[in-house]
Amino acid sequence: MTHALRLSCLLACLVVPTAATAETSTGDSFWNGLAIRGFGTLGVARSNDERAEFVRDLSQPDGLGRHWSGKLDSLLGLQANLALGDNTEAVLQGVTRYRYDGSWRPELTWAFIRHDFRPDFTVRVGRMGTEFFMQADSRNVGYANLTLRPSPDYFGPIVVSYFDGIDASLTGDTGRGLLRAKVFAGRAAEKTPFVKPFTWDLSGSRMAGGYLDYLSGPWQFRISRSLIRFKHQQPVNAAATQAGIPFDLLAAAPELSITGRHAIYDSLGVVYDEGRLQVQAQLSSIRYDSAVYEDTRAAYVVAGYRIGQFTPFVGYARTHSDPARLRTPLPAPMAEAVRGFIAATHADQATVTLGTRWDFQRDMALKAQLDMVHGNRDSRFPMRDAQPGWDGRLNVFSLALDFIF
Amino acid sequence: MTTPTRLLPLLLLGSLAGTAAGEPLVVVVSAQQRIERLSQEDVTNIFLGRFRTLPSGLPAAPIDQPANSPLRAAFYQQLVNKDVASINAYWSRLHFSGKATPPRQTNSDGEVLRQLLSQPGAIAYVERRQVDARLRIVFEFPP
Repeated sequence: MTHALRLSCLLACLVVPTAATAETSTGDSFWNGLAIRGFGTLGVARSNDERAEFVRDLSQPDGLGRHWSGKLDSLLGLQANLALGDNTEAVLQGVTRYRYDGSWRPELTWAFIRHDFRPDFTVRVGRMGTEFFMQADSRNVGYANLTLRPSPDYFGPIVVSYFDGIDASLTGDTGRGLLRAKVFAGRAAEKTPFVKPFTWDLSGSRMAGGYLDYLSGPWQFRISRSLIRFKHQQPVNAAATQAGIPFDLLAAAPELSITGRHAIYDSLGVVYDEGRLQVQAQLSSIRYDSAVYEDTRAAYVVAGYRIGQFTPFVGYARTHSDPARLRTPLPAPMAEAVRGFIAATHADQATVTLGTRWDFQRDMALKAQLDMVHGNRDSRFPMRDAQPGWDGRLNVFSLALDFIF
Repeated sequence: MTTPTRLLPLLLLGSLAGTAAGEPLVVVVSAQQRIERLSQEDVTNIFLGRFRTLPSGLPAAPIDQPANSPLRAAFYQQLVNKDVASINAYWSRLHFSGKATPPRQTNSDGEVLRQLLSQPGAIAYVERRQVDARLRIVFEFPP
């Protein structure tokens, strides 16, 4: 109910200034300022191991098996930009992709008004992309990215892709380079899959954060911190019952509760982009003040070198989480069950990626990619439905056509 | 369409010859603007949408040559050593994350001149031989 209400407020936000500006615009038709463009990916992928399902990120309820599947990477986005004068713009974006409930229902991902108070000071209000990590808000725009998909080791735990709120960015010229600061605050509006078939409602969770960028020549450096305070409880007990745990898990171990608890996302990023060479690397730490998730550190580095229309690339990613710590003393069989439950969020794997991007035609790129995942036997979190016998290793083969229009 | 007819043959010749012939590209503003010089970093920041304040304090309004123009390809190659596909990929990231807007795209080099002269803060790149008294060169690529 409140969801629909908030959405209509947003839409009203977009329409009201529209009407106001229409009266004052002179000469050219108001709709001259309207531009509709889109982006998309047609991708197929398969893995060589059915004992664990490889997913693009944890917003997907299930993933790959041995058969070619288009669900992981295929998506379509449409975006309308409406100029409301020289310094103001309204932006609406809808995206359809394989989502938390196993459907392809389109979602309104962006719906905001952007105003440039000065060329170096911009404020946006409405629904917009989250940037917990550098490039997180363009990770679905395949054409903008070198690799076929964002690194699941690094971006996998980021299940929030947009929020309703406000952000502001300020850029200054230091003489040697540019310094940009951005802050944001708002509330999440999405749901995410939990243990199948349950989902976890993130909507209404407060979030805030910011980053500092330094740009100089081919270099970009970023340091960022974001925080989210979860509003809704996870369906822990329902999932526990399904798993055959015969008692109230949340009552036995209250530290598994996530309501009112928060997660902190810290990251460092660097991009070097000069001529044919493109290198990027990021480092992150995610900490939870609930025991239901393990604290995780992750990193990736990817490098590509352009030769004519081809850009072969190579990447390495690593994620590792601290083993669960349970403070509440529990009788042995209960403790076992709880630990088993938490162990499902343990991550300890590395991925080597090889691939190439082929810019064969204007606004289109074909990509082929091989991912080799080498994990420990207890690494479970980055995958869906990992079977007890899985050894933590699998290979993924992918092909994709990225386009913009 | 408002391009003075005496410029037309030059413009046509310019498009045909492209820059393959070696005609240098220069970055220009209207001669009425007060700015004198920009560095390559300034020009990069303006055309890549990173920072668009001119030294005069005025907002910079960059203007692009037509999407398929050889001038556009040559300009970005010289400015940041990137081909057109890489520049388009760069802008797709910013456009679809709702950040900076790309330079205003024109349909002809005649339109580039018209906008240069009519819009405050306008800045564009043209071939050196297109520069007349109405324009001021604010940046030249080192030889």
